Order: sequence, then C-alpha cells, then structure tokens
Amino acid sequence: MAVEITRPGKSSLLLSTPVMPAAGTVGFADSYRRLVDYEKLGAIITNPVTIEQWNPASGTRLVPLPGGILVHTGLPNPGLRRVIQRNRRAWERLPVPVVLHLVGTGARQMKQAADMIDGIEAIAGIELGLNDDIDEAEAFALVKAAARIEKPLLVRLPFYESYQLAPAVADAGADALVVSAAPRGTARDEHTGRLVSGRIYGPLVKPLVLRKVGRLRRQVPEEIPIIGAGGIHSPQDARDYIEAGAVAVQVDTATWAQPKMLERIARDLGGWIATRRKDALMDEWHPDMGPTEAAQRRVAQGDS
Amino acid sequence: MKDTQAYIERIRRVSRDYQRLELAVDNSLSALLAGQALLARRIEKDYEIQHWNPYLRELWFPVEILDSNIIVVEVPAAINYQPGQLLSLLGPIGKPFKFRRKLRNVLLIVYDTPPTSLLMMLPALLSNDASVTMVLMGTACDYDTGHLPEEIEIIRAEDDLSWQDMVMTLGWADQVFVLVGPSKELSNFADVMRLVRDRRNDVPANYIFGVFQRQLPCAVGACHACMLRAHDGSKLQCLDGPAFDLTYLHLEN
Repeated sequence: MAVEITRPGKSSLLLSTPVMPAAGTVGFADSYRRLVDYEKLGAIITNPVTIEQWNPASGTRLVPLPGGILVHTGLPNPGLRRVIQRNRRAWERLPVPVVLHLVGTGARQMKQAADMIDGIEAIAGIELGLNDDIDEAEAFALVKAAARIEKPLLVRLPFYESYQLAPAVADAGADALVVSAAPRGTARDEHTGRLVSGRIYGPLVKPLVLRKVGRLRRQVPEEIPIIGAGGIHSPQDARDYIEAGAVAVQVDTATWAQPKMLERIARDLGGWIATRRKDALMDEWHPDMGPTEAAQRRVAQGDS
Repeated sequence: MKDTQAYIERIRRVSRDYQRLELAVDNSLSALLAGQALLARRIEKDYEIQHWNPYLRELWFPVEILDSNIIVVEVPAAINYQPGQLLSLLGPIGKPFKFRRKLRNVLLIVYDTPPTSLLMMLPALLSNDASVTMVLMGTACDYDTGHLPEEIEIIRAEDDLSWQDMVMTLGWADQVFVLVGPSKELSNFADVMRLVRDRRNDVPANYIFGVFQRQLPCAVGACHACMLRAHDGSKLQCLDGPAFDLTYLHLEN
C-alpha cells in the first residue's frame, strides 16, 4: 500500500504508511530508535530547523495542564548547515523518507535553504512551518520562495488563520497542507508563579483541528492533499482524521507520553496490527504487539 | 532505554511524609546505577492508558535496588498507590553519577527539595568507607532523615543558607553534589555556587555537580525541553545528565 501525500507532479512523495511523527516530537533523526520501529512509519518529520542557530528558551519550558501540556522550547537547533552535517548519515540509514521541517522566517532565507538542501538525497521533502502572525501576502511570498527548492513541499498552517491562509498557500505552490500547528496558549507555571506562553498539546486539541481538516478539505482543491495533525492519541483518532478528508496524519506529543502509540497508530493504519489469540494470557499479548513479536513469544513458550 | 512494564509489589511507609514503593521490574533495569532515572506512568490491565491526566510521565530516581529485579523508589505518602498497580517504565535515563577516584569525603547539598534523587549513591559510598555529609537547606529541612543510614552526618542550614562549620565542610569535601527544587532551579544553583565561591579560593573542575530533576517529556533527546547551556555547547539533561559540573554551566536564566 502506498499513499501519495503530495499533489501529483514533478516531485511527489509516496509513503508506505500514512502516519508520521509531527515536527518537534522525535528529534532530528533517530532519537526514538530503541522505542519505536521506524520501519512501520511512513516518514520522519525532523525537529524545526532555522538557517541560523537558535538557542533554547530561557525560563519555564513546560507547564503541565489537565490532560495536556504547554510547551515553549524556543525551537533550539544548531542551524541548517550543522543539522545537515550532523544528521545526514543517520537520515541515509533510516528506512523511511525524511522530511525536513524548515521554520519560515523569510523569503531570502528560503533561497539560502535551497542552496543547502537541493542535491541532498537523504532529504525527501520539506515541511515549511508558517509563523502564527503571518498574513496572506507574506505567506504567498514565503511559500513561493520555498517552492523553488526541488523537493516536495508540505506547508504547515498556523492554527488560527488556517482558513484564510490556505488558498494563498495552495496557489503559491504547496504540494500538501499540514493542518495544523498546535494552538498557542498561556498558563501559569506553579513553580515560578509566572505566566508562560507556548503551544498547547493534548487530546482536547483533536476536535478543534479535526473540524478544520473537514472544512479545509471542502475549501481547497481536491488535488492538494491534507495531512491531519493535532491531538492524535489513539488509532481511532487517526482514523477520524482520514474520515474527515486527510490522506495522512502526524502524531505529536502522544509519542512522549507513550512512545509505542506512534508505532501502534502506524501499524493500525498500515494494516499491521496483530490480533490477540483467543487463548492468550495477559502477559502474552499487548496492544502494540506485531506478528513477529507474537511469533517469537510463541516459540519461547514452546508453542510452535 | 527500554519501554517495559512493572508492578508495585510492596509499599512501605518510611516517614511521616514519604513512602517507598518496591517495584517488580524487567531484567533490563537491574543494572541501573545511581544517577539514572525512570519515567513512570500508571497503566491499566491490558497495558492500556485509560486517561491522559497527568499527561507526562513522572520522573523517578530509584533509591535502592534489591535482589530479584526489585527497584525501590521513594514518593510522597500523600499520593495513593496500591500493591499490584501496573506501571509503564521508560529507562534507564541519563548517565550514572561520576565519582572521583580515591573519594573520601562527599558533601551533598539539598536545597528546597527532598534528597530522594541522591539517596541511591549512599550505600555504595558508605561501603567504600567514604564519609558523607548532607546539608539540608530551605524546605529540605523538613525532610525526616530517620530512615537514612546513621553513618551520614545530617546538617540543617539556617534561614540565611549558612550552616555551622561551613568553611570547613566545603574545604573538607572532595566532591559536592547539589540538588535543588524545580522552582527557580538555575538561580538556586547560582546561589549555591556563590556561597561556595565565597568560601573557597578555588572551585576546580569536577568538584561541584548540580543534579537536575526537570520534568522530561521524551527522555531520548528529541524534544530539547531539558536543554541546558554550557561553556562547551548545549547539553541535555536526559542524555548527558542529570549531573553537570556547575563550573561549566551558564546559570543565568
């Protein structure tokens, strides 16, 4: 089964499974290699990368919320050139395509990025993250500049202005829309007593973004695929996005809370889920178990 | 690093405010060393998560490893746990504490937090005939130390963060570990460093280590929420920590 997650054309991106981690959740390459079977995923979206180095945010970076979390890391990264240098070999070894998430800081920076990225085969595509405050004209110019990079271009829309920005982004040459970035919010850090702003993650985000996916599916041309991203914490959440019109999904912070959930969702949408044998005992089976592990356990128990 | 299941085998109250949970764990965690931690979350039968509150896992520094794959953790007594409770554990996380060769005298400074994260080093230090002094400062003074080995000297600091024979204690120590609470973490480390610099002519490298206990979202170096700035580049608590040489860290917030 292959899923085309970009519009047909010069540079189409085909995935074996319509499930990938969201930007900022699994690092630049293979940080989760000991916990997640990467072969079961459709692609890897890297942590956000900027042309120049960005330092971590000072002060509070996490605020626990009821059933969720507020995150403000400042998108620390050593800059595009170093990210490529440090991760290129790991990307080449990964069994799935690597999509580099570029932070959309300006059209001029996109030109610089193109010079560094074009020709690197280990990068299968670009995901451009748009700033929350961007207007339609700026978004059009930025996406137009990024579309010159000779890679499939996914554009992640901001949460709040996604309906207004989507047509301009599509017209400017986006090959797919990622709907959407996590919403921003403010919460009090109980340790310091200060208010902290950041992005909000958790299951409650899903119904908000799911509605956007459904509306945008009707709003933008059918040829531009939509990738659903927000609050996915179970295989059923992912299936809901597909039903609403997404061709693929991105799983965000559920991977932090329960790493196997990313793989489990990929197994589910990729058709790899093993069913529980009717006579299996509790410790002989768990929901994330695939056929190989199930077979190994049967052999270990002398039950061939 | 593995994702394994465990269950609470026994619960023992060790003081008015703290209880110890004996966890039956996977073989892979038996080799866990002082300084390494676990990320834990409660799960239900069939290994399913029933709810997402709290959303992130709790960071647990074991205090003891018993025979037969039993790891002991110390948690507040106010939190209700039951024997038989299933847990999902990610670990081991981080690097073990590094001790100097020929270590004779160890000073532990605990500021506005219980000393739990440092307790696992105690049996090994004592069995190697090292002398251990633990200074409790701020809210750490409320920690009941009755269940700790009697060989450990306990000093409770005054309100102004000074204690009796402070200069002598700092001069006597071959190595210092500092543990602070999550509130104003960096500035609390900076306070302790100021206090040490004021009383020692020289603070050499590999002498004073800060032990970080920030909440870790991923623990595999992916999210960068635990990133610290050091003189030789950025460091991650989850991969490079939890202990860092305080002379190498940027402690301004």
